[in-house]
Amino acid sequence: MTEESTPKVTKNSQVTIFLKHLHIDGQTLLLTGVFITLTLFFTFTVQKFFTPRSITSMAFQLPELGILSLAMMITILCGGINLSVNATSNLAAVVAGLFLTRMIPTEVDPNLLGWYVIGAFIIAILVGFLCGVLNGVMIGYIGVPPILATLATFTFFTGISTGLTKGVTVTGFPESVSIIGSKTIAGIPIPFIIFVVFTLLTYIILNGTPFGFKTRMIGTNPTAAEFSAVENRKVLLGVYVLSGILSAVTGILVMSRTMSAAYEYGTTTYVLLTILISVLAGVIPGFGKVIDIFIAVLILQVLSTGFHMLLTGVRGSSFFRDFAWGILLIIIFIVNYFVRGRTQND
Amino acid sequence: MFGRFRVKKLIRSNEFVIFLILLFLSLTIGAINPAFFTISTLFDTLRSSIVFLILAYGLLPIVIAGGIDISFVAIAATTSYATHMFLLKQGYDGGILLYYLIAGGAGILAGLLNAFLVTQFKLPIFDVSLAMFTMWYGFNLFFVGATANFSLPKGTVGFYNIFVFTAQDPNMGETGLHITVLLALGLGLIIWWFLKYTTLGRGVYAIGGNREVAVRSGFNVRLIFFVIFGIMGLFSAIAGVTQAFLSRYFNPVIFITQPLDVLAAIILGGAAITGGSGSIIGTTLGVLVIQVINRALILTGIPVEWQRFVVGVILILFTSIPALRNLRAKRMGHTSQLTQSD
Repeated sequence: MTEESTPKVTKNSQVTIFLKHLHIDGQTLLLTGVFITLTLFFTFTVQKFFTPRSITSMAFQLPELGILSLAMMITILCGGINLSVNATSNLAAVVAGLFLTRMIPTEVDPNLLGWYVIGAFIIAILVGFLCGVLNGVMIGYIGVPPILATLATFTFFTGISTGLTKGVTVTGFPESVSIIGSKTIAGIPIPFIIFVVFTLLTYIILNGTPFGFKTRMIGTNPTAAEFSAVENRKVLLGVYVLSGILSAVTGILVMSRTMSAAYEYGTTTYVLLTILISVLAGVIPGFGKVIDIFIAVLILQVLSTGFHMLLTGVRGSSFFRDFAWGILLIIIFIVNYFVRGRTQND
Repeated sequence: MFGRFRVKKLIRSNEFVIFLILLFLSLTIGAINPAFFTISTLFDTLRSSIVFLILAYGLLPIVIAGGIDISFVAIAATTSYATHMFLLKQGYDGGILLYYLIAGGAGILAGLLNAFLVTQFKLPIFDVSLAMFTMWYGFNLFFVGATANFSLPKGTVGFYNIFVFTAQDPNMGETGLHITVLLALGLGLIIWWFLKYTTLGRGVYAIGGNREVAVRSGFNVRLIFFVIFGIMGLFSAIAGVTQAFLSRYFNPVIFITQPLDVLAAIILGGAAITGGSGSIIGTTLGVLVIQVINRALILTGIPVEWQRFVVGVILILFTSIPALRNLRAKRMGHTSQLTQSD
């Protein structure tokens, strides 16, 4: 009874406070709206779209791009960019793959094989860590503009992968490697669970630690951060190391799903797609939310699978998807502009 | 006194450092393989630089104004390929000029669309360009065509072989400098003039330095954006058509992997990624450095699979050198002298 008698204004603001507490705002609502609209649209236009089978296949596909987008997002948040995410992910997969194909003795105890696979994954993470250190030192300590530094390391990492593999795809891993990429737990694909775990981890790091706060401070104003006793160099190093590790996790997912490692996997599109997702999620230096990245990845996957099914038999349907992505981005920008404008007028 | 000051300023300038890098690179490669110091290598490197120079010149004003654009490659691909498919359908067999006119016009329109979205809805340039990048390539591949086209109109067949002058090379026989070098040169001069001697051009630097101040000082920011995006669209279209006729086929996904390379060349040439600085000479040197690295590496005898690695090492070193200089200068307390350039 008392709740009903409270004035409407207060009730409204209570809702706003509650939403704010959950870090939900206009951008998140807009993205959720777009996601639901698209899902409904494809559910009604494509018969096979909203079936367990297609949903599972989507859940297998999107984690790679999702974790790579997180790797991209945190660097944008601190005012930079990491063009080497995909190169890092490929290098990590290639090194781990070479370890698995060349270092395991031929007469190995089958029980030990699992440890070799785990060792390979640790090596992949270590490679991601080292790639991140190189980026972080160049950007944080030497002061190379992030776009230039990571373009150079993109070429450098791809160069190492190309050289090590002589341009040939690495295959022939032990069967157990594929567990991560192809099995499910309680009906949920393992890659998707890993994606959710890393989304939560990134959320905790960015929103619950001093490091995350400093990252956003540097993004908003590096000079002000420096004068507020933030050690910019160390934080930037940390951000790029984290980005490298997330990229390496993507590499593990890719090698586990495709059972191969190649220097050229996804080179032409993945980097730009991760930037596109960050932009769709409204991430700008200093501001941006992990949950928005998550929804943006879902939107892209729905759009991709949806158009693929809708245009079955039409030549080049993936090209139409690219076209639609561009249009959708522009529409979201414009809607955002009007939403922003209205709240500013209030 | 004045002369000494000028020399000091020249030596301190970013352009000079890039020039030294280019010199050092050429000498090293030449020392490994003297075949590098031949006229045919020079002409080849210049020929492969032409389109990248045109693309970079078109992009430069936007970078100076503080924007990053990647849609210019998609505009280049879509305008050139769509123009070709259109003219092919009409049974056109005339010269190359009509290609430049139609593609150029379409390019300007595409550029203006970017400018409209950026100014009307106050959107970040990069975000718009990313959307346009995806959209134009998707449009080109889905609606226009997805396969490379090799049938050129009769009037344009000999174009790839028109030289400004030819020289006798001891190893390769006769080699020539392609006529489109003049095109790149002319376009570079236009941008140089635009940036240095027009009010709009000075406004580009003003916007890059501080947009708010530029608005308050009475620069028509909206008009400036329309002009520089129009230039970008036009130059991209010209680059797309030129590339197609130099390589003798039209490719719907041309340049798709290269927007960031062009941007890197401009930044390497001394333009700040945050805007406010950058020059035609620096951009030219930046493009040449990257071309020399890419082209001349073949001559050094490094195994093919490790060449990209070497390019990466060189890029890491040469992007770090200017940054290290700035770092040292900052410690010594005269950062302002180094960051300024025009």
